[in-house]
Amino acid sequence: MGKPQYHTDIVKSFVNWSLVWGVVAVLVGVIVSFQMVNPDLNYPPYFTFGRLRPIHTNAGIYGWGVGTIFAMFLYMAQRLCKTPLWSLGLAKFQLWLFNITIAASAVTLLLGYSSTLEYHEMEWPIDIMIVVLWVTFSINIIMTIIKRKEEQMYISLWYMMAAIIGIAILFTVNALAVPVSAFKSYSIFAGTNSANVQWWFGHNAVAMALTAPPLAMFYYFLPKTTGVPIYSHRLSIISFWSLIFMYLWTGAHHLLWTPVPDWIQTLAMAFSIMLIAPSWGSVINGYLSMKGQWHQMRDNYLVKFLILGITFYGLQTLQGPMQAIRSFSAFIHYTDWVPGHIHMGTMGWVSLVSVAGIYFLLPRIYGREVYSIPLANLHFWLVVIGQLIWSTSMWIAGVLQAGMWNAMNADGSLTYTFTETMVEMYPYWWIRAIGGIIYLIGILVFIYNVYMTVQKGKEPAPKLLEVEGRA
Amino acid sequence: MDMASILYLGVTFGLFIIFVLIVRNTYRRRNKEEKEAPKYRMMNDD
Amino acid sequence: MWEKKPILLMLMATAAILVGTIVTMVLPFVWVNTEADRIEGVTPYTPLEQEGRDIYMREGCNNCHTQTVRPLVAEVVRYGDYSKSGEFVYDRPFLWGSKRTGPDLARLGGKYPDAWHFQHMENPSSIYPKTNMPAYGWLSNNALKPDKIRRKVEVLGFPFTEEQIAELATKNEMDAIIAYMQKLGNDIPWRQTARTEIVGELRNPFAGADQTTLAAWKPLYQSNCSACHGANMEGGIGPELVGEYYDEETLFRLIYDGIPELGMPAYANLGTERVWQLVNLIKYDQAMGN
Repeated sequence: MGKPQYHTDIVKSFVNWSLVWGVVAVLVGVIVSFQMVNPDLNYPPYFTFGRLRPIHTNAGIYGWGVGTIFAMFLYMAQRLCKTPLWSLGLAKFQLWLFNITIAASAVTLLLGYSSTLEYHEMEWPIDIMIVVLWVTFSINIIMTIIKRKEEQMYISLWYMMAAIIGIAILFTVNALAVPVSAFKSYSIFAGTNSANVQWWFGHNAVAMALTAPPLAMFYYFLPKTTGVPIYSHRLSIISFWSLIFMYLWTGAHHLLWTPVPDWIQTLAMAFSIMLIAPSWGSVINGYLSMKGQWHQMRDNYLVKFLILGITFYGLQTLQGPMQAIRSFSAFIHYTDWVPGHIHMGTMGWVSLVSVAGIYFLLPRIYGREVYSIPLANLHFWLVVIGQLIWSTSMWIAGVLQAGMWNAMNADGSLTYTFTETMVEMYPYWWIRAIGGIIYLIGILVFIYNVYMTVQKGKEPAPKLLEVEGRA
Repeated sequence: MDMASILYLGVTFGLFIIFVLIVRNTYRRRNKEEKEAPKYRMMNDD
Repeated sequence: MWEKKPILLMLMATAAILVGTIVTMVLPFVWVNTEADRIEGVTPYTPLEQEGRDIYMREGCNNCHTQTVRPLVAEVVRYGDYSKSGEFVYDRPFLWGSKRTGPDLARLGGKYPDAWHFQHMENPSSIYPKTNMPAYGWLSNNALKPDKIRRKVEVLGFPFTEEQIAELATKNEMDAIIAYMQKLGNDIPWRQTARTEIVGELRNPFAGADQTTLAAWKPLYQSNCSACHGANMEGGIGPELVGEYYDEETLFRLIYDGIPELGMPAYANLGTERVWQLVNLIKYDQAMGN
């Protein structure tokens, strides 16, 4: 029986474009981090912090994050189903719609067309484009799964399907609005309801875009990279169902101490703590898969990316629940601690696993060995060090500012004015900006390595050619 | 106990039972081979 | 079984996702923003205020400013009464934010006079020298578009008069955003209820302080008062400060409680000791104006 002819060109295109948007996201991130230390770097009306920050977050989540997810899902689905993509034409349409949508998002956000809903700032015409894009992608993946040659579905496919459904429900409900003009609409939800719906969306966008898909990648690329199957398929069943069930209850932990009803906050707090179990189910599954293979942390640069990635996921899913506790939230919420937390997830977990996936794909989609492993190692250390500087400086800054906000004199008066506390943040914001630059350099090293692989990479070993059906 | 508490406990207990059933079904000894098969099969999908 | 049936898996996943969704997101509609939530005095935005709110959204002010005061001691002392659900029923969408690079604005309305806001938006560092707030003076160059704003308040179903719409033609975006900020948190009479009753006789604990002691308190004046009353009490947004005009007790009360109707904020959260230091500085310091 001949090998199925998998489509790889479309995967290449998604990898390339997600890299482009990834650089945009990180570059804008570095720019806004400098605007925070020097307000003269705001150039109104278009290039102000208020308009650029949503471009940073959305380019990161949708351009880089979801772009990579598209690439990886299109690659993994074909192999896990042992069948070519259901429709190559649809995938090509999806590629163009994806780039147009991301570009249109960036332009409209610069113009100030913003719903202000975090990670959902794009106005209604862009929302419609995103929905069409997601449906296009979903149909292709689901049809490929239905047409599969493999009866029993591997873990990664479950996470893909959950993400497909989750994003569709979350994004559509939160987008509901009444348009008043081409780029302005008013949410159908008001006040406290609007807040509750937004953070039900906001937190679960993290679940369905930045947790489930990277887990799908992790469960696929770790065994592929080490050459040893995942420790337990059964443990992942428990983790999977618990994770997707519990996540949806936790949105209101972003709204502790606000006018949202107390019982919703309490449920969110309780479920956030319980989420440690399914999250760590995957972490432990990853670690135990390394049994007898830990030497690969030295020998195989890809294992380093994946294991550090899942470690940051583990830390993220301990720190997150901690922040979801009322008393702790009262202290650190609204400070720089929270961006420190988010960036450990995005720069540590999601990006490390995504770039591991890309390194893994390079020989298989370009038919060339990765240009330089020393450069890949340099990339690894730059992004890890950059991210640690970033997050740690923000955690320290957050605790410091929270302490100052809460400091009171014996007579019940406040010790510090707001400005006095804000001024103390400058040194940490500088350190953060430097961390961001180190991270950006790491990304540029990565892109150089990818570029050189495509241009000058060696032909791969014959075994790989045979595997790919190219020989 | 009012109705709300009974409902609360009932739902919690119900969820717990579902969880136990999932774990039991997943970890049944006679299901082991079938439940673990995909992790080996995915290793040679290229 | 479900591992072999993708459609079944997706249906099961949908069900798993919907349980938490229904309980924590759909069900609350029964209780939130209902009559039980309503607060007397909370009114819809005027066309000018609503346009100001839309400008606030356009400029992404929510990326650095929150609009919800939590029921925590330090927070209520700093900003004012904690936020109530009923105060937000006309907000589409909410603008509570998630990060305080700048201070919370939920109780900003009526705290400062309009002139303070114009100066602060034009040149934030003239009020807070080390601030990282960008300047927004350019908003004054943009005229408002009355027809567009009429359409907005119509869609929102807010009451308005033709005079209010006609008046918009004479205003710019700065007027609108300041009108919006002056409404924030002002629909409930929290300032009156939060006013601290001073019991007993007021006695100046620093009576007879010498000029060197007074000079040491100048930074307190500079960080709290000079933006409006001038570096040397010569006045600016607020009036010139002439110590002789007031007796110690009156001056203390003015600073401690503020003069809400004139836009003088209350400085009770500085504590009595520091308010007395300011009283002495204003009344007796010779280097600064007296």
